[in-house]
Amino acid sequence: MMRPAKLLAGAFGLFRALPVLLGTAALLGLLPVLHSHALQPEPAGVTPPAHSSRALVAVVESITTAPQVLHESRPGSTAPKNTSTAAGHGKVRKSFPVLEFDYKHVRIPFEIALWILLACLMKLGFHVIPTISSIVPESCLLIVVGLLVGGLIKAVGEDPPILNSETFFLFLLPPIILDAGYFLPLRQFTENLGTILVFAVVGTLWNAFFVGSLLYAVCQIKGTGLTDIGLLANLLFGSIISAVDPVAVLAVFEEIHINELLHILVFGESLLNDAVTVVLYHLFEEFATFDTVSITDIILGFLSFFVVSLGGVFVGVVYGIIGAFTSRFTSHIRVIEPLFVFLYSYMAYLSAELFHLSGIMALIAAGVVMRPYVEANISHKSHTTIKYFLKMWSSVSETLIFIFLGVSTVAGKHRWNWTFVIGTLIFCLIARVLGVLGLTWFINKFRIVKLTPKDQFIIAYGGLRGAIAFSLGYLLDVEHFPMREMFLTAIITVIFFTVFVQGMTIRPLVDLLAVKKKQETKRSINEEIHTQFLDHLLTGIEDICGHYGHHHWKDKLNRFNKKYVKKCLIAGERSKEPQLIAFYHKMEMKQAIELVESGGMGKIPSAVSTVSMQNINPKTLPVERILPALSKDKEEEIRKILRNNLQKTRQRLRSYNRHTLVADPYEEAWNQMLLRRQKARQLEQKMNNYLTVPTHKIDSPTMSRARIGSDPLAYDPKPDSENLPIITIDPASPQSPESVDLVNEALKGMGHLPPSPEEDEDEEGLVMRAKEPSSPGTDDVFTPGASDSPSNQRIMRCLSDPGPRPDPEEDEPFIPKGQ
Amino acid sequence: MGGQNSQPLGVPEQEAIMAETGFSQANVLRLYQRFQALDKDEKGCLSKYDLEGIGHLAVNPIGDRIIDAFFQDGRETVDFRTFIHILAHFRPVEGSAGSKGINSRLSKLKFAFQLYDQDKDGKISRAEMLQVLRMMLGVQVTDEQLECITDRTIQEADEDGDNAISFEEFAKCVEKLNIEQKMSLRILK
Repeated sequence: MMRPAKLLAGAFGLFRALPVLLGTAALLGLLPVLHSHALQPEPAGVTPPAHSSRALVAVVESITTAPQVLHESRPGSTAPKNTSTAAGHGKVRKSFPVLEFDYKHVRIPFEIALWILLACLMKLGFHVIPTISSIVPESCLLIVVGLLVGGLIKAVGEDPPILNSETFFLFLLPPIILDAGYFLPLRQFTENLGTILVFAVVGTLWNAFFVGSLLYAVCQIKGTGLTDIGLLANLLFGSIISAVDPVAVLAVFEEIHINELLHILVFGESLLNDAVTVVLYHLFEEFATFDTVSITDIILGFLSFFVVSLGGVFVGVVYGIIGAFTSRFTSHIRVIEPLFVFLYSYMAYLSAELFHLSGIMALIAAGVVMRPYVEANISHKSHTTIKYFLKMWSSVSETLIFIFLGVSTVAGKHRWNWTFVIGTLIFCLIARVLGVLGLTWFINKFRIVKLTPKDQFIIAYGGLRGAIAFSLGYLLDVEHFPMREMFLTAIITVIFFTVFVQGMTIRPLVDLLAVKKKQETKRSINEEIHTQFLDHLLTGIEDICGHYGHHHWKDKLNRFNKKYVKKCLIAGERSKEPQLIAFYHKMEMKQAIELVESGGMGKIPSAVSTVSMQNINPKTLPVERILPALSKDKEEEIRKILRNNLQKTRQRLRSYNRHTLVADPYEEAWNQMLLRRQKARQLEQKMNNYLTVPTHKIDSPTMSRARIGSDPLAYDPKPDSENLPIITIDPASPQSPESVDLVNEALKGMGHLPPSPEEDEDEEGLVMRAKEPSSPGTDDVFTPGASDSPSNQRIMRCLSDPGPRPDPEEDEPFIPKGQ
Repeated sequence: MGGQNSQPLGVPEQEAIMAETGFSQANVLRLYQRFQALDKDEKGCLSKYDLEGIGHLAVNPIGDRIIDAFFQDGRETVDFRTFIHILAHFRPVEGSAGSKGINSRLSKLKFAFQLYDQDKDGKISRAEMLQVLRMMLGVQVTDEQLECITDRTIQEADEDGDNAISFEEFAKCVEKLNIEQKMSLRILK
């Protein structure tokens, strides 16, 4: 019964997508036109190949010729001017062009902008049609679009642009890596660093040699026409194809929401194997030109691995420190703070590439090192800017990369050799599976949290190849490697296979394998609540226990960090802040909680008794012996509320997702707390309306205001009284001893707090006052902060000293002073 | 891991602790290092302030309750022995541990129950349940809904009709849950 509605929705979505598609088609049509125009000397005299542009050119021509006509009709007035100019400049007299078509001038930026626009429109389009994007991952769709565009350009007769390795490595790749590095979940990364390194280094080496040598064996078979490919060439190919690609992994994995551990393992591996790839690539490329390979060469190669990786990290760290240091001084020019982050990171990347070190590792190191200090120094808005820019650039980059992959497939010269390609594919898969299995067996000996077979499967299956392999292949010199086209064909085939087949099937496979969540349907409400409670409890205890294993040196690092580094790199007193901010937040939350659940407290030590509360609270359901059969809807509603609202424990469910900005847990908690406060205030207002405690005659607001105005004690909390809670809670919620303690602690805590910088909340901070709904004609002078209604005031008096000592001043407010 | 002992003193009462809690020596050492790391002023014991300094606990909805669980009987500080005693509740259960031992199922349940039952009267009253639910649910839940949920929760579990959940009722509620897994930290093995 849902089908027609779904179809309608789909059709409607398609309808909405039409303008996007039309726009895209227009752009696509424009591209070849512009290409052709760029090659012509002048626009007017050429017959353009594409039919659609003829009209355009004709229009342009007519416009340019029109002024000529006009001009000649008024010879008299302009003649002297013309002659003078002609005499002065010696120029050929021609009519002043009102409208010109000068494409060469803007060609390159125009085309770049057009491509980027195409990429963005594609992204838009995919999300408008949700049905497809739920089956096919975005990367596949983008490659298909690239194929189409490439085909279109070719059909027009032009040469589609191939993904230039320079463009790729220098412009398209860095944003993605920086985005990944800056938001790297550092804790999981370092906890699993050993595993990741083993996978990255040993795994990639194993893949490269396995594929390379087997391919060499295959090449030796007579009759395939491949016998001329030497061992080194094969090994080179193996090293190119064996690297797991971070772009592809990110693109596919973020849509399937696997748990954080697997995500960080595969992703971390894809990042760190860059060093290995770089080394192997350069190694084999050099060696292929030699005739013989000596032992020293091998040893040098081995050494260069360390140089490349550690050097890259070192470069990154240096730039990161410089960046952090710079950010210390930017308090006066907030606007350019994000730029520092981007520039220093990019410089780190370029500097590493300069020395043939691993640029990716440099970039990651720079981002990771820079981040904690920069975040402490920069303003909140700069922080948001950095987040947004990085996400934006990396998104666009990724889209462009995939589109270009598609275009390059169409554009490039291919040499298809069945044996080679099929062999590559099969060997890659086998190598990956064997590698993962073997390494996991080895790693599990040292891990506490073992990798289950399901995990292993996903790791093996998630080893996607991508554009890096293609670009590396493209970089090969045709002179030394005449079989370059064949290599490229094979690389593209493997990329397509992994992205399409593996990318599309990984989601259903993950769902299939993740059996755990599906079984429970009818858990009782109690069970759900308790499960969540225990989850939180476990997380808390985990936090208390601290990190595992690397504890010792990590602590040392932290101490070093705090003592020396933070002082250098963080401006002013902010190096101490984060902990206190958390403390402050917590205090706020506590009070908000106390306020909000004021309706349900059982203990009442003060004057306002339970009687009033019971009168006010009409919602207590009658107690029944047997479980009342709540209607199904009600029950369902309760379950739904629980499911949606139980505060999830932080790590279990939120893995790194590219498209959503990673929310700061403090920020989230802070926002929640602010919302709670709002609710608390609303609740108080409601309660105030219920309260009728007429102890004296108050009538006009004027009198009560006068009373307040004349009684300074109405405002100021007595700072010397030990048990004084500043917080004025609404009358129905009496204070329990615990909450009093809280506020005391808060007071003490507050004393040490630096003024919080940019809290746009009113700086009442811990002091919450019961706000009445503003009575008409209320004077602004008296409203802020003070409780207006005298009943509130009286309660405040009552509650302010929960001890048995009677308050001698209790009567004071009711004696109008000077009245 | 137990070989390198960079601490100037050994772990106090190590043997007794190991016997009591069942932790291995390496784990005791590691937890002692953690204890010392948390104890910033090197007083030899932890105060609430130290524990509250753990950032992630601040944003844990029941963070305060967890901290309070360490300071029972209104104490101000907790020494290492108590600290590790409490953490021992979260040791994974090994096979035939039986119902003895700190990390048995019963003991774990009792610990969890304590966290609910703040006034230590042996029952989770409606107010206490309301408090917990408010802490865990977000702000999108209105008060009426919250009251409704609380009532329903208590009704479901309450068998003797006192509008509160006693320990036995609690245990019965969660008997289907895999407590041994839910309340165990693998790193404390």
